[in-house]
Amino acid sequence: MGAALRSWLFTTDHKRVGILYLIGSLAAFAIAGIMAMLMRIELTAIGPDLTDNPQQYNVWLYFHGAAMILGFQIPALTGFLANYCVPLMIGARDVAFPRLNALSVWLFWAGILLALATFVIPDPPDVMWTGYPPYATRTWGNTAFYSFTVLLLGFSSILGGVNFLTTVFYMRAPGMGWNKLNIFVWSIVVAFIIQLIFVPVLGTAVTMLLFDKYLGTTFFDPANGGDVLIYQNLFWFYSHPAVYVILLPFLGITYEIVATFARNRVFNYKMVVYGGFGGVLLLAGEVWVHHLYTAGLPDWLRVGQMVTTLLISVPVGLLMIGLVGTLYRGSIEYRTPMLYALGVIFFFLIGGLTGIPNAIASLDLHLQDTYFIPGHFHYVMAVAGTFAIFGAVYYLFPKMTGRMYHESTGKLGFWLTFIGMNLVFMPMMMAGIEGMPRRYYDYAQFPQVEGLQQLMTFGAFVILAGSLVTLWNWVQGALRGAPAPANPWGSRSLEWTAAPSPPPPGNFPQPPRLGPEWSPYAYGERA
Amino acid sequence: MAQQRAEFDREFSGRLAAAASQGEGHAAGEAHAHEWETSPWPLVISAGILLALPLAFSFRFVYEQPLAAVLTLGIGTPLIVAGIVGWVREGLGGEALGLSPAAMPWFILAEALIFLSFFATYWVMRLAAPEWPPAGTVALPRVVPLVMTAILVSSSFTIHVAEARLAASDQRGFLRWLVVTIALGVAFVGLSAAEWRELMHEGFTFSTNAYSTAFFSITGFHAAHVVVGLGIFVALLLPALRGRLNEPFTRSASLYWHFVDIVWLFVVSQVYYW
Repeated sequence: MGAALRSWLFTTDHKRVGILYLIGSLAAFAIAGIMAMLMRIELTAIGPDLTDNPQQYNVWLYFHGAAMILGFQIPALTGFLANYCVPLMIGARDVAFPRLNALSVWLFWAGILLALATFVIPDPPDVMWTGYPPYATRTWGNTAFYSFTVLLLGFSSILGGVNFLTTVFYMRAPGMGWNKLNIFVWSIVVAFIIQLIFVPVLGTAVTMLLFDKYLGTTFFDPANGGDVLIYQNLFWFYSHPAVYVILLPFLGITYEIVATFARNRVFNYKMVVYGGFGGVLLLAGEVWVHHLYTAGLPDWLRVGQMVTTLLISVPVGLLMIGLVGTLYRGSIEYRTPMLYALGVIFFFLIGGLTGIPNAIASLDLHLQDTYFIPGHFHYVMAVAGTFAIFGAVYYLFPKMTGRMYHESTGKLGFWLTFIGMNLVFMPMMMAGIEGMPRRYYDYAQFPQVEGLQQLMTFGAFVILAGSLVTLWNWVQGALRGAPAPANPWGSRSLEWTAAPSPPPPGNFPQPPRLGPEWSPYAYGERA
Repeated sequence: MAQQRAEFDREFSGRLAAAASQGEGHAAGEAHAHEWETSPWPLVISAGILLALPLAFSFRFVYEQPLAAVLTLGIGTPLIVAGIVGWVREGLGGEALGLSPAAMPWFILAEALIFLSFFATYWVMRLAAPEWPPAGTVALPRVVPLVMTAILVSSSFTIHVAEARLAASDQRGFLRWLVVTIALGVAFVGLSAAEWRELMHEGFTFSTNAYSTAFFSITGFHAAHVVVGLGIFVALLLPALRGRLNEPFTRSASLYWHFVDIVWLFVVSQVYYW
């Protein structure tokens, strides 16, 4: 027992590090989900339902946003999935710096622990996940824990980025050229370049916040030569690209699932990689002002960034075309991971299209700070990303555990969450058009949205049921599932064809040898 | 630059191929691959960081419990140091592939963005200010920064010489120039600390005005980087005294040091003499 525990706590193996990331990020998802339930129950009827203290609601809102983005989605995608898949997909024994990788995951866990302190300290942070000053520098809440959580997770990401870029550049199996990489590996490369450029900016912003509140500096104090807009610009200069750090890997893993279950090559591979991922990388840093249309920035900046924001739908559109094109003339098998992947396409399409009105500055002046905005970004990022992560866990389940999950229970969980998500976020956008402002803990001035609010709360319970079914299926499958073969899906990618389930230390019994015709998507002309 | 890169690639792919063939043919390598590889040090270091940074800071500045702050700092710092020592020992003994010079530029990219964010903030505050320097600013020293610049720039040359000595297998020459570099770095940090002391003594503190905010945060972050660089050099020096050398690691350390040196040129031109 002691030896087994030590082999996990001290592990430097990328697969185990990946599973440690998965456990931490699912814990963050569960607790942030409970916060969402508390908020939904509070909003069911006009008047106080759970609490009459708006600051309590702020703490829930803070934890829900911060934990879902920084604790669940980014670590699940660039921590768990990157760790588990990248070395296996490129035919490497491990990452370039295994100890550094272990340091990344334990810094992530330190960040999670610090975030959980929210529930035991007398002055929990209540600054949303954005931490805007002057509120964040004046609140009674503990802004230091917010800043340090961001710093720990950010430092972990930077180390991960350095590690994975070096791994993909130097550790590929002989014969694996850049145009033969799995789409997911490409998405991780681009996501980590974005992280390396932009995470330090967020780190600097929250450090300034920390110094302002506790050491008396004046970065964001207008009375003393500072400017609060500096924070907002620095924050969104990172936090908009953070959306792409989530988007690219979740689309990347969706590509893997779709290609495998459609038995088809990736449609327009080079256009997806160089046009889609490359285009997003080029534009990622020039669109942040669309979060600040109402902040009082000059028009040349707002109009300029409105154009770049609309322009970024071109590379993102290429990524969507690639996904749909991979389905076209495929031989599609509707297993649970595939259902989730199709769910991603559905949610991402709705989320993407409802993003266009927000991108247009003149329309956004009216939509800003209404329920339409959270409705939109939940569709495009939160729900689509979560479905990709759930789909990926199902997809990799046989590889990780060596056992199969229960198929129809998996499908039940999918349909419950799929229906629940639409029941929450479609009414949310409708309530936003009715004028319901976001972040309110009560809405006595807006009695017309009470029906929609109740529908959303009902939908939240449906999601809860679906998530519990899914979790139960995973636990059952890991403990009692039927043994899985090395390649249950008939994929052509290395993690399935060259490694047993689960892969041993060192991954491959024989180093993979790739012929000139090899490709992770070589399914023949028409399978 | 491109040529250097190509050279590194060639050299590295040779090493990788050698490592792979060793692993395949070698019986010991086969046995090795059947065990999960472990190292306790990453966990030790991150526990140390959690104690020494967020917790110690919060106890000191948020909850005002100096005893708890001293305690967490006192436990956390030794954990970090022990973790680094253990890590370096393992790294020197193991079969590392020597990829760190390829990774360091990515890390430097991230570091550069930290400084860029601070400078951007400083520029915005300064260009938007009705008068500059703002009220409360004292006269900054004119000569000391020049001395500091001379020290840091020459340390970039000395570490380069040390690297060249190592490449020429001149172990004693390497040690000598490494020690000179460390001495220059320590002198730089000493001058920086003395200057901070004097300015604070004159009433120019973190909270005086926008200029002091920018001044102390930018010079402070830079000095922290110099200290980290010195720490890396010590981690090179101590094993080297016992004859354990690591060429790729030396190359990465020197790259990092050149970066810290270049940032200083921005600090000195933007914060002191503009």
